[in-house]
Amino acid sequence: MTINLFKRALFFVILCLAQVLVLNHIHILNCATPLLYVYFVILFPRDVKRWGILLWCFFMGLVMDTFSNTPGVASASMTFAALIQPSILTLFLHEDSPDDLKPSFKTIGVAPFIRFAVIIVVTYNLVFFSLESFNFFNWIQLLECVGGSTVLTILLIFAIESIRKK
Amino acid sequence: MRNLLEFLTKYNYWFVFLLLEIISFVLLFRFNSYQGSVWFSSANAVTGQIYAWNADVESFFSLIKVNEQLTMRNVRLENQVNKLSKSLADLTHDTTVVERNELALLNQYKLIPAKVISNSLDKVDNYITIDKGIEDGVKSEMGVACGNGVVGIVYMASEHYSLVIPILNLKSNISCSIKGRRYFGYLHWSGGRSDEAYLSDIPRHAFFKKGDEIETSGYSAVFPSGILVGKVTQIFNSSDGLTYRLRISLSTDFGNLRDVCVIKDASSSERIQLLKVAQDSLKVGKQN
Repeated sequence: MTINLFKRALFFVILCLAQVLVLNHIHILNCATPLLYVYFVILFPRDVKRWGILLWCFFMGLVMDTFSNTPGVASASMTFAALIQPSILTLFLHEDSPDDLKPSFKTIGVAPFIRFAVIIVVTYNLVFFSLESFNFFNWIQLLECVGGSTVLTILLIFAIESIRKK
Repeated sequence: MRNLLEFLTKYNYWFVFLLLEIISFVLLFRFNSYQGSVWFSSANAVTGQIYAWNADVESFFSLIKVNEQLTMRNVRLENQVNKLSKSLADLTHDTTVVERNELALLNQYKLIPAKVISNSLDKVDNYITIDKGIEDGVKSEMGVACGNGVVGIVYMASEHYSLVIPILNLKSNISCSIKGRRYFGYLHWSGGRSDEAYLSDIPRHAFFKKGDEIETSGYSAVFPSGILVGKVTQIFNSSDGLTYRLRISLSTDFGNLRDVCVIKDASSSERIQLLKVAQDSLKVGKQN
């Protein structure tokens, strides 16, 4: 239990640093930015309490907000993603899946995992960019941002998952 | 009662969810009005330190380009100074007048050099974090400039770091004038490209042309007059047809910003006080 907690905290810090110091500086075509910290939501195992997921993800969002001066935007959308993660995960499970299943290529298969990740990332990006462009509404730019960032994020997650498999 | 308790324990995560969302939205909507919110920005001690380390590493690799730019700028300015001091000496037959004027100008302003430690270009409301704060004499509402031109205005300051609203922010609003022609308007940004901004409220009878330089007007208490802002690239009519709206290509390269100066104007507090007194007396006049 304590080891799990420690591992998650370490993962939290690494993801934060990678996002803040490297990925936040990538803006392809002025809109697409990989938001790798959504990976944090995707990897929560089935047996973690739902309020636990919510709290972890809220703090992840808060840290991102603090670094990029978007108060409340990432924390609100991360909390929302954390709310839907367990319900979406059950859609991709079999009846005989273990209770402490941790979503990855190995446990639920490559294609289902990608579909699962796409659903979470798209939902997250939709909420995030809608909130961010609150007073500056521009449909086309919003869709470009959501589309571009989703593609980049999924590619990154795919790459990391493939390495982890070995 | 037991059913109620069971219901609450079963769906406890919904309450956690609502609570966290409420906190997020309070942060979202009160960021601008709430003074303590500097703690939730990149100007707080921890994020500031991390960004400062990162900036140290990055600035090392961009030194060559910065050096080149500064040298170019230096040469240009030196030429200009030579020309101006020559013509001034010719006109007044006094060779020390330039030095005396310069000293008088510098006495009024104090420059606090600072390093940019975080910066963004792609958002609607971009912010810059710099590594000087209250302890170094930085306060909110002070102007920030770099070697190439105006950067923005200090928004919040913590002990060692401050948050700057650059021109590339919808909230930014700087009084500027057309160099040599004295007509003034206010500079604002409308999202999109990071090297363009707009100058509004230039009167219809003003005379100017494309390529004219834009500088700060000195009417606000934030910037002294004469700091370069950019060049006019296109001229539009405003939506109500009463004024001109100019597209400006900014002289400051926000994508490659490292060293900036915070401008501390000794006389600005006096000016602000005067403005406040005037506003108060107007209010009293209205009530009577």
